[in-house]
Amino acid sequence: MRDSSRNVNVSVTWVGGPGAGPEREVDVRRTKGLLSIAAVAIAAGMVLAACSSSPSSSGSGKGTSVPTGGTKMAGGTAVWAELPGSAPNFIFPFDPPGLFSVPNINQFQYLMYRPLYWFGKGTTPNLNLALSVGQNPVYSNNSETITIKLNNYKWSNGEPVAAQDVVFWMNMMHANKANFGAYVPGINAIPDDVTNVVATAPDTVTFTLSGPVNTNWYTYNNLSQVTPLPEAWDITGAGGAPGSGGCYIGAYGGAATDAACVKVFDYLATQAGYNPSNPKAANNSFSTYATNPVWQIVDGPWHLTSFDATGDVTMEPNASYTGPDKPSLSKFVEAPFTDESSEYNALLGGKLNVGYLPLSNVTKATTNPEVVAAQDPRLPNFYLNEYYGWEFAYFPVNFNSAGNNGAAGKIISQLYLRQAMQMLVDQPAIIQKVFKGYGAPEYGPVPVLPTTDFLSSDEKTNPYPYNATKAKNLLSSHGWKINANGTDVCEKPGTGSDECGAGIPAGTPLTFNLEFATGINTQTQAAADEIASWDSVGIHINETKSTFDTVIGNATACTPGPSCTWEFEDWAGSWVYSPDIYPTGEELFASGAAANYGSYADPKADSYIHDTDFTNATLDQYENYMAEQLPVIYLPDQVQSLTEIQNNLRGATPQNPLSAINPEEWYYVR
Amino acid sequence: MIGFLIRRVIQAIVVVIIVMLLVFLLGHIIPGGAARAALGPRASKVAIEGFNRANNYDRPLIVQFYLYLKNLVWHRYLGYSYHFNQGVTNIIEERLPKTLVLVGISTVLALIVAIPLGVLQVVRRNKPVDYILTGVSFVFYAMPPFLLGTLLILYFAIDTHVFSVEAPQGQTVGAILSDPRALVLPEITLAAITIASFSRYMRSSMMEAMTEDYVRTARAKGAGPRRVLFVHALRNALIPIVTLLGLSIPAIVSGAVITETVFNYPGMGLLAVQAAENTDIPLLLGTAFVATLATVAGSFIADVLYAVVDPRIRYASR
Repeated sequence: MRDSSRNVNVSVTWVGGPGAGPEREVDVRRTKGLLSIAAVAIAAGMVLAACSSSPSSSGSGKGTSVPTGGTKMAGGTAVWAELPGSAPNFIFPFDPPGLFSVPNINQFQYLMYRPLYWFGKGTTPNLNLALSVGQNPVYSNNSETITIKLNNYKWSNGEPVAAQDVVFWMNMMHANKANFGAYVPGINAIPDDVTNVVATAPDTVTFTLSGPVNTNWYTYNNLSQVTPLPEAWDITGAGGAPGSGGCYIGAYGGAATDAACVKVFDYLATQAGYNPSNPKAANNSFSTYATNPVWQIVDGPWHLTSFDATGDVTMEPNASYTGPDKPSLSKFVEAPFTDESSEYNALLGGKLNVGYLPLSNVTKATTNPEVVAAQDPRLPNFYLNEYYGWEFAYFPVNFNSAGNNGAAGKIISQLYLRQAMQMLVDQPAIIQKVFKGYGAPEYGPVPVLPTTDFLSSDEKTNPYPYNATKAKNLLSSHGWKINANGTDVCEKPGTGSDECGAGIPAGTPLTFNLEFATGINTQTQAAADEIASWDSVGIHINETKSTFDTVIGNATACTPGPSCTWEFEDWAGSWVYSPDIYPTGEELFASGAAANYGSYADPKADSYIHDTDFTNATLDQYENYMAEQLPVIYLPDQVQSLTEIQNNLRGATPQNPLSAINPEEWYYVR
Repeated sequence: MIGFLIRRVIQAIVVVIIVMLLVFLLGHIIPGGAARAALGPRASKVAIEGFNRANNYDRPLIVQFYLYLKNLVWHRYLGYSYHFNQGVTNIIEERLPKTLVLVGISTVLALIVAIPLGVLQVVRRNKPVDYILTGVSFVFYAMPPFLLGTLLILYFAIDTHVFSVEAPQGQTVGAILSDPRALVLPEITLAAITIASFSRYMRSSMMEAMTEDYVRTARAKGAGPRRVLFVHALRNALIPIVTLLGLSIPAIVSGAVITETVFNYPGMGLLAVQAAENTDIPLLLGTAFVATLATVAGSFIADVLYAVVDPRIRYASR
């Protein structure tokens, strides 16, 4: 899943005001000079006056570590800031494409409707059985059978969370997979590889798969998508009897079950505002989210008491919750913001208990990305906690590009070129200068931070550390005439080891078009650094700035041909491993994969990816190969957020790297 | 006059259609397409094709536009925003009243302050008061709203806690108006700039009126300074202001994106920007439709009011 949150920290720059019109000639020419000076003086005075009354620093060290101590109090309201532009807008935990997002799922639905498996333990994305509805899945029969026993959870209408509730979700998925945002056709994953799902006991569900699977991959990337649904939702109209829809109890994969599940999905999605059968239907469902009896049947620690179209969410504890960690707070509020400056103002104005410090307001760079260097002196009542998401930053390169007179794709296909480009990305410098130390280098598809066991020992170190000389030599040793700060030219065409490569004629300039998304200042600065670095050895970059949507719209896989001309597309974001939490490559780097935008194709990579999904192979071979082969250009990953947490609010850290929140674990102390 | 009205209505319809067509074409020129913007980068080719089919994006542009206009005219349907998961009509119905409140109040405030200021500047013309007010006008006229708003927030909300850091967060007009303390800073931000503009117009207009023959005649007939100022000069000097008011209607409806952003007050201005950023074509068209309607209406009202307040103006019927 793309990190949509990265792309909404937008600082809008706009000049003008309402009602402005042409100025009429007025008789102020004589005094214009004096007035101009006065105007500047007044403005400067206002700035100085405003800035001079900032609260004094709370002292060194304070606000940079998680506070401890205090006596736990019951009750209280916690107001948590949504990331700008990231308000939830869909309540039904079966999210269609376009609505499948972190704000909807991890930060809204999960608080009310618990997923079968919870991921996020400490700062790792690991399976957290303590918070899961399902117990550890048991793989048998050469991992083709999965048996899952459920913990003792209850719906708020008194019904137990049963094995059939899991079957209900799977039936829904089988019938409506095209309407499920995480469904990826062609990779033989859920539900395509599920031949049967049956409740073999009231609290036990058994999956039968079409073939053996890697158990980590299946648990982390497939079972992670399942959210048990209550029988009371198996309806096709208001007031329908639970189970009357025919989807809940139907045999998995049957035609009748599918037909029933389509109707049930249509009804529930319409209740949530999405009407796939008739997109032209008026949608006014947001005002009903907190009152519709359907959505009030929850098994999570919270239930919704208020919701509006701008994203204001209020939840109160679910009194029937049987899971661990019953809420201590009496109310949890999610507050929406237009941009990071208004969120920061709200933080300063005391409107938030948990918010974010914009990177531009960081007062001191850190030398250790996992250690906060200094707190904002204007927030003495908060402590700062760095948060790295489970993601890696990169931009795709188009192996099929017909740009540069047909040579671009051929050049990109040369490993030495990608190696040279990677060697010119000075990740430590970008992290320190641009991200003020709050960033993680990325050397391959497995994120370096947060630290996990998924990272191979090879991928812990950079196979291509910054080295402009080595990059230049790599190019020159492959037949390129180096024109530093100009454009290199192929002097030795051919396929020999010291030649440019197949399909690259003599005289081909080493120039590429890079389109990158604007809106995030740090990403724009980082891109500028990278471009300057490439230019310094003669890899000339023609940059175009566009919006995020334009960039991702252009970054699509295309077959070689005159219309396949994009070369590099950088949306200034990351690949977030959610719900595909186990960082395999079947979606990103396998030949023909949906998100393999650059059309990277390597049978060896395909084989390694296959092994990570369908055998007991670990990730090592795959990730080492991807780190070495550079199917994309890996970029340093900026910290996802610097979270400000009120000093007397405990339990908000460590932060879940999958952006899920657990306010049921938060409490105030005195 | 009837003829004039009929002609203006027809003109307005033509303008709206042309603007909508331009926005429609520009929206479709944006590379990438609405499908990927709505469905996200993970969308499969099948999903994108399905989306395009469901929303008629696979049909010729002129057919798409015709269908859009047909839905608009016959069903009052402005489309569906996948990004917001709401009908465009719903979204506009939620945001428009908030914008009308915010910008409308600031415009009224601006009038209440700017007119007397302009008059004062003429009465005290070329005196220190005039110079100071002119200087202040220039400061506020030149000051970007994000700077003024941020400074006001820093001092009056964060440092002194006199007012709120953000505008009212209520969703209805009643809820917004019930929190007047939170309205103060955004209204000052908007009104200050409008006052600066309006007061300059008022000053110039009054100065011009004071040199007219009818003012000299009024004085010659023995009218006192107050009568000359308020009965003769001001009434005539208000004519351009009335026009300006009509031309402010588009801004009142379209919102003020910077002020909305700074004060966390999602209104029509921010909505239009979000629609463009998200390649949300139905929403883009919807906001353009509203803005265009407001513009032609504002222009129309300005012309009509001008004829009403100035008896010399009569629109001939042809």
